[in-house]
Amino acid sequence: MTEIGTITPLGHGELLATESASSSRSYFRQIVDSVLRRVGAILGAIWIGTLVLLAVFSPLIANSHPCLMEKDGHWSSPMLAHLSAGDVILQTLFWSGAVLYFIPKPRRQTRLILWICVSVLAIGIFPFIINPPTIVEYQIYREDQQAGKIEKVFYAPIPFSPDDHLFDQMEMRLTAPSRIHWMGTTSDSADLLSNMIYATRIALSIGFISTGIALIIGVIIGGLMGYYVGWIDLLGMRLVEIFDAIPTLLLLLCFVAIFTPNLYIMMAIIGATSWVGYAYFIRAEFLSLRQRDFVQAARAAGLPVRSILFRHMLPNGLTPLIVSASFGVASAILVESTLSFLGIGLVNEASWGNLLNQAVGEGGTFYWWIALYPGLAIFLTVFAYNLIGEALRDALDPKLQENK
Amino acid sequence: MFAYIIRRLLLMFPTLLGITALVFFTMAFSPGGIGGPLLDRSGNMRGGQQQYIRAYYEKRYGLNQPKLVQYARWLNLISPIGFRSNDDGTLGSFGLKWPSLGESMQQHRPVMDLIAESLPITLLLNLISIPFVYGFGVVTGIISARHRGGWYDTATSLSQLASWSVPTIWAGVMLIGLLANRQYIKLFPTSGLHEPEAVFMPFLPHFMARGWNCGWLFDTAWHLVLPVVCLSYGSSAFLTKLMRGSILENLDSDYVRTARAKGVAERDVLYRHVFRNSLLALITVAASILPAMIGGSVVVESIFSIPGMGKLGVDSVQFRDREVVMAVTLIGGLIGLLSQILRDIIYAMADPRVSYE
Repeated sequence: MTEIGTITPLGHGELLATESASSSRSYFRQIVDSVLRRVGAILGAIWIGTLVLLAVFSPLIANSHPCLMEKDGHWSSPMLAHLSAGDVILQTLFWSGAVLYFIPKPRRQTRLILWICVSVLAIGIFPFIINPPTIVEYQIYREDQQAGKIEKVFYAPIPFSPDDHLFDQMEMRLTAPSRIHWMGTTSDSADLLSNMIYATRIALSIGFISTGIALIIGVIIGGLMGYYVGWIDLLGMRLVEIFDAIPTLLLLLCFVAIFTPNLYIMMAIIGATSWVGYAYFIRAEFLSLRQRDFVQAARAAGLPVRSILFRHMLPNGLTPLIVSASFGVASAILVESTLSFLGIGLVNEASWGNLLNQAVGEGGTFYWWIALYPGLAIFLTVFAYNLIGEALRDALDPKLQENK
Repeated sequence: MFAYIIRRLLLMFPTLLGITALVFFTMAFSPGGIGGPLLDRSGNMRGGQQQYIRAYYEKRYGLNQPKLVQYARWLNLISPIGFRSNDDGTLGSFGLKWPSLGESMQQHRPVMDLIAESLPITLLLNLISIPFVYGFGVVTGIISARHRGGWYDTATSLSQLASWSVPTIWAGVMLIGLLANRQYIKLFPTSGLHEPEAVFMPFLPHFMARGWNCGWLFDTAWHLVLPVVCLSYGSSAFLTKLMRGSILENLDSDYVRTARAKGVAERDVLYRHVFRNSLLALITVAASILPAMIGGSVVVESIFSIPGMGKLGVDSVQFRDREVVMAVTLIGGLIGLLSQILRDIIYAMADPRVSYE
């Protein structure tokens, strides 16, 4: 009796779970298809895709080290010798991901797990075996070339690294765009275009990871609030209210002033201050879901809360969350560039906000190229995410679809 | 309704406690602690000297006490009922007292004075921006809803999304660089609220002995043009979208069909029936736009060096000037919470279907 009593509802619950998961996937598919039919979203996606490619291949696109050179009769590649562990990890992730995506053989989940294994291995191993020289002198190649010591040399399309301060060409500080420096140079004589290409890494990773952190916090807190109404809800709402009413920029400033900001702390801080919207949303969603039959059935079956929350309720409330997440990525990029612009964000890495900060020099001189290009990059990226978010929202809104 | 308001006002206290505690303890547990950067600023002092100054700060602001005690003392400081403090920092008798916000560690002035100087500037900036935001949002919203699907509508919805995405920092830098710069067009001043000689100006424009004088009022207004533009373009794009959606929703409703069936002119349908109902959506967001704009004015004030509360907050956070940071947090949080409550109340008043009983 007890055996039957426990098995049947469990089986029922499992069935419901798989059913809801598969229906949510097809729903997700519909949404993606309908988004891809909009011009704005396509352009946005193309721009984000370009940024991803630039971020992955930045050392191959902009580098002061020659790709190949023939010196004293033998060939070498200083560029490959100076690749950092991070560069190699990114390349490994990209190429293994691309290969695993396009081969048809194992099931999709197997390929995903395989890719995750490769990533973990790469992140675990490469930092220990790849030790590029820590002291680099970029000007030696140019000097050797002028002195005629190098027979043949091939450079990357943009022959400047972001931290190449052109010590051999002091007169190149703060020059306007020219044939050599396509977007001009910055106040410390570095090539602006090269800096901007490397900064795509910061923008993309900040956007994705801090939104991911915010989503996780928001879903957990909002889910608990919506599932256990009562005093947990009351307490949670106070927490939400605290983070909602606090001047966000001030809280960010406090956190940033306190922890010396590097990229990872920045992601955590932005994530920890922007989860409120997601928590509100998931709470409202769960409040209505918890009355539905399938949740009641799962609860009657005695499933653990973890399983009810994340396997039964979450898949049903998740798709609309993608809309807010896409706007969230945009606002995370905005927040990072604003903080960096105010001089309290990332210090050692050149992000777009940091570069924009150099646009007005001492004495009020305005360097238009430093203002124009990094600002434009921030704008286009935020705009792209907003376009995608807008298209997603339209696709999810049944009212708008009727009118179409 | 009345009970609801009372309940919300009472719930404000734990939230405010949470807000201030969050900021206080993140500051207190940071490496270097409260006031740390103040000591580092005088970096090349001899060891003994620095220790002496640290001891002075610790005694003066009670930094050597447990952190919880420090927080309790701060709460005691701002509450109207509590222990009076003596001149030597010990606690005196219990009873009614005048609430205070303490003294700035960096500027050695009462925080109340600093707030009294900077808060009006921030509010002025925002109160000037809000009419522009609403005016622009309502007008473009109506036009694009009337020509729904036309080129004007497409252009506005695209440009509203675009201007929503323009970062304020970029807009500010470009405006300063192009319109307030000797290299290009020197039309506007770059920073501040007044010219240095504004103190000697008459209030209104006058012809004076040395020629035309633009006057204090015009001078201030001229300084505020670029900051107000920076502060308002994003919100007005948001309101345009809201207004358009609200009008379109109302145009589909039954009462509009009835009015049209009765033969009411299209113009009257739009401006006498739909317009008024559509304004409800805009009124309800008013309460949430104000704190958002105050948040945005932190950036604008920093770009244009306007001595408002946002700039005060940024500066004091960098020096971890405890009393000022706490005061700015308290006031910002209070404005945020009050506008949340206001939003819910206005919502209930504007829409009779909503009730909190």
